[in-house]
Amino acid sequence: MDIIVCVKHVPETAEAELKIDASGKTIEKTGLVFDINEWDDYALEEAVRIKEKFSGTVTAITVGPEDSDSTLRKCLARGADKAIRLTDLKFTNSDAYATAKILYSIIKNLHFDLILTGAQAGDDGSAVVGPVLAGLLGVPHATMVKKIEFGEGKAVVNRELEGGLEERLEVKLPAVFTVQTGINEPRYVSIMGIRKAMQKEIRVMGLADIGLNESEVGEAGSWLKIEKLYVPPVEKQAEFLQGSPDEIATKIIEILKSRGLV
Amino acid sequence: MDFKLTDEQIEIKRAAREFAEKEFTPELALEYDQKEEFPMELYRKAANLGFTSMRIPQEYDGQGYGVLEECLVVEEFCRVDPGLGVAVSLGNLMVPDVLLKHGTKEQKEKYIPPLARGEKIAAAAFTEPEHGSDITRLDTTAVKNGNGWIINGSKQFITNAPIADTFIILCQTDPNATPPHRGQSLFLAEKGMPGLEAAKLRGKMGIKPCVTGSLALSDLHVPETNLVGELNKGFYYALELFDGTRITVAAQAVGMAQGAFEKALAYAKTRKQFGQPIINFQGVSFKLAEMAIKIETARLLTYKAAWIYDHEKPSPVATSMAKAYASRIAMEVTDEAIQIFGGYGYLADYHVERFHRCAKITEIYEGTSEIQKLTIVNFLQR
Amino acid sequence: MAEIFVLAEHRQGQLRDITFEMLTKARELAEKTNADLTAVLLGKNVREHAKNLVEYAKRVLLVEDDKLEHFNSDAYQKVLSHIFKERKPILTVIGHTSYGVELAPRLAAALNVPLATDCIDLAFEGDALTVTRQMYGGKVNVKAVLRKAEGYMVTVRQAAFQVQKPPTPSNGEIEEIPSPLTEEITTKRFLQYVLPPPGGVDITAAEVLVGIGRGIKDQSNIPIVEELAKSIGGVLACSRPIVDKGWLPSDRQVGISGKTVKPKLYIALGISGAFQHVLGMKNSDLIIAVNKDPKAPIFSFSDYGIVEDLFKIVPPLRNKINELKAQKT
Ligand SMILES: Cc1cc2nc3c(=O)[nH]c(=O)nc-3n(C[C@H](O)[C@H](O)[C@H](O)COP(=O)(O)OP(=O)(O)OC[C@H]3O[C@@H](n4cnc5c(N)ncnc54)[C@H](O)[C@@H]3O)c2cc1C
Ligand SMILES: Cc1cc2nc3c(=O)[nH]c(=O)nc-3n(C[C@H](O)[C@H](O)[C@H](O)COP(=O)(O)OP(=O)(O)OC[C@H]3O[C@@H](n4cnc5c(N)ncnc54)[C@H](O)[C@@H]3O)c2cc1C
Repeated sequence: MDIIVCVKHVPETAEAELKIDASGKTIEKTGLVFDINEWDDYALEEAVRIKEKFSGTVTAITVGPEDSDSTLRKCLARGADKAIRLTDLKFTNSDAYATAKILYSIIKNLHFDLILTGAQAGDDGSAVVGPVLAGLLGVPHATMVKKIEFGEGKAVVNRELEGGLEERLEVKLPAVFTVQTGINEPRYVSIMGIRKAMQKEIRVMGLADIGLNESEVGEAGSWLKIEKLYVPPVEKQAEFLQGSPDEIATKIIEILKSRGLV
Repeated sequence: MDFKLTDEQIEIKRAAREFAEKEFTPELALEYDQKEEFPMELYRKAANLGFTSMRIPQEYDGQGYGVLEECLVVEEFCRVDPGLGVAVSLGNLMVPDVLLKHGTKEQKEKYIPPLARGEKIAAAAFTEPEHGSDITRLDTTAVKNGNGWIINGSKQFITNAPIADTFIILCQTDPNATPPHRGQSLFLAEKGMPGLEAAKLRGKMGIKPCVTGSLALSDLHVPETNLVGELNKGFYYALELFDGTRITVAAQAVGMAQGAFEKALAYAKTRKQFGQPIINFQGVSFKLAEMAIKIETARLLTYKAAWIYDHEKPSPVATSMAKAYASRIAMEVTDEAIQIFGGYGYLADYHVERFHRCAKITEIYEGTSEIQKLTIVNFLQR
Repeated sequence: MAEIFVLAEHRQGQLRDITFEMLTKARELAEKTNADLTAVLLGKNVREHAKNLVEYAKRVLLVEDDKLEHFNSDAYQKVLSHIFKERKPILTVIGHTSYGVELAPRLAAALNVPLATDCIDLAFEGDALTVTRQMYGGKVNVKAVLRKAEGYMVTVRQAAFQVQKPPTPSNGEIEEIPSPLTEEITTKRFLQYVLPPPGGVDITAAEVLVGIGRGIKDQSNIPIVEELAKSIGGVLACSRPIVDKGWLPSDRQVGISGKTVKPKLYIALGISGAFQHVLGMKNSDLIIAVNKDPKAPIFSFSDYGIVEDLFKIVPPLRNKINELKAQKT
């Protein structure tokens, strides 16, 4: 089975202090640690597991700046066979739609039985790339997938709905699935993997190589244009309890007591 | 001249960091710091991913990298936790190294792969109760007996002794040699051999998950095939080993300093006194600047020593400079880190005093700092 | 007359809340732009829902077909494309739900209509549509404008808008549209619903919940918080990553893809406060959050906040509760 995994190199922000940069349209990236998007991490792992079971190849593809190589190398070290990075200054400010078009322009020339992406990216949270890519390729798709099984020319997947409910779908292959977290347990990068990864090449391509024109990518080719970023207004702010851990614990107890909770 | 790590080295460092950050949780670190036990499961996990066999060639199931790559792993491990970091990086201490250089084909094939794979644990016994810095004369003897040797004596402060499967033991084989170190040889021994008893030492100041023990050797019989390399060359083999391993001790020190520094920096930004974060006080921020300078200097010395070892012929003086300096500043930086934490720094729960306790060992084992300076002075006087 | 479409979302015989949230916001936009508010309802035997929707919308476009019994984005896309070509709505509003995420992006691309997903606010400025959405797990808000077009599409976040009935029921009309589906969709077929495993703990019934998030760092730390939960007479709940890692069973998960809870006390430990989690717990009577990051979004939803390492707070808190209990007995 030949599998393509689309991955994104994103900053880890859960525990970081974010600052909006001078342009007001993006955050300051210095000091942030970048890594593979959390959802893509599961998608890659799923692809490698499928390959290990049924044989075939895994190709990791990203649209992003040169730094994204570290995410691609991570994919290679974890079991991907090939990697492609699509980089061009003209791609700057591409939204999820433009990104899907860029991915399409290269993927349409590749052989695949399955394409996996993350259900969304942790930075912009769009959840758009996978289904749009499927539409452009004219293949079926399923989003937020939590389980994949294979039959003759088809896959049976569990999609996550709300409130713990799932639905089972039968989907013809080739198809695009966007993977939800928790579908598997991603493996660590091993030293053996790194050694192998270094022998694999990362193919780099730009606008000229993929046959799109300028107006189809970047801001011009996007649905969305960012006007400004700002810190969310606080509708209700918690009252902060200060002091040593011991003092804070005492304060909590007082609050609980006053509400009859202890 | 190029100060950049290669992409491959950056990936190694990142992989080690990611593993350590996920696995060496502060709570696990505290637990092992208290119970003074070797984290075997963690060690096996790290070994399966190749982190513990960086310098062992691939043909023996190792990773085939150099000292520099090993240092990158050790540094990241010790940065996350000094105790677990040291324990996990010393599981196959020195035995593969010496066998690769001087072992027979049979010895290499028998002993190295299981150590590389993390299935077995190694220990290297040089120090004795009466001979530490000066091992040019030993009380442990090996006497030829038919087709083998009979070993008697005792060893002290041996890393992994209580849990090791494979030992190398430095013995006096020619008591009349002058100087005496020309009459020393290295022997392989295995757990379970009659006459080999290990006892665990408790109550160490730091690196508690890295277990240490003493060895009592009474009529331990080893076959001739357990002699490593040539007879009466053991002392030289030991010194040669230290040229490499002392660099990794420097890397331990750099990692510990870095880890404590990062904690102190984060704390200084959030702890408020006199109405502002304490990092606003120059008395605090300059400390942090000094710490950063020291760490960077130590790291450069360490990487340079490793680079020389990997690319040129090992340089004892570069190695000793790295170890002496890195271990010193690790003590200073971890000390200042506690100071920046104030009273909280003095509590185990804040995970910084442990770095200080652990850092001390880097000034002692594999040759005290004074012994490193002797090496440097010897060079200066040439 | 210009139209704003709202795609009604329903499952297993129920119209979902998001439908009314969307209708509320869309009504405001329709008034401002002088457009008609049209609800679009697809399904099998869903006329009852249509009757419900006419209270909120000027009209309901109803497409009934056995082939629409279960949601299928391919079938929906065929039907909606058909309707769109005829009516060209200036805006289509779809829920940012498991259904909307499956449907909207591909539909928008096929119709060449610009789309913004997961919006928490919408406004027309002239004929330009401006949306508010979030990035970085809710740490940053974004104002963005869609590429100028004749029509726009958005998916909106659940619970972003509060449902308000129109002051006077709209008494809209139901306009039936014959299904354009001529044959079964074979690319993608619904097989069945899969229910969460039965049994386990019912966190929705608990009066006190101790919710843990990724800040717990390791499975081995769970006993520490479990003890706290026990001493305070509560039950352990969690954010999604804890279930993803298999540290707690899925019946403990709070949030959009887990349970919605409303205990008397919710203590959030090491939870950042992503909206998918918050949606499940924000109506708790009292919320106390412990997080190392003073800017964590959870603090905007809490009554009391503690900026500290949770492992520093939990042990003294547990001890003090235990002391208190000891005094009483
Ligand atoms: C946790 C731990 C693990 C260890 N692991 C191992 C192991 O795996 N294998 C092994 O063989 N050994 C091991 N050692 C032993 C370690 O290498 C020795 O402790 C060290 O070499 C010092 O020897 P000593 O303790 O006998 O001190 P001594 O040699 O008695 O030194 C005492 C003091 O005198 C100073 N001193 C000695 N000679 C001079 C001199 N000429 N000039 C100036 N100062 C001098 C020393 O620097 C030191 O400050 C370990 C020790 C510890 C604590
Ligand atoms: C379709 C979909 C459905 C989803 N459904 C759900 C759902 O139902 N429920 C749900 O919870 N999530 C859900 N999510 C995931 C959600 O987007 C977030 O990723 C998730 O809620 C984050 O969990 P967290 O807060 O535990 O982790 P993180 O966002 O990683 O936050 C961890 C927090 O812990 C703090 N922290 C770290 N260490 C400590 C410490 N020692 N002491 C104190 N604080 C510390 C950090 O500062 C940080 O704020 C869903 C996502 C999608 C896309």
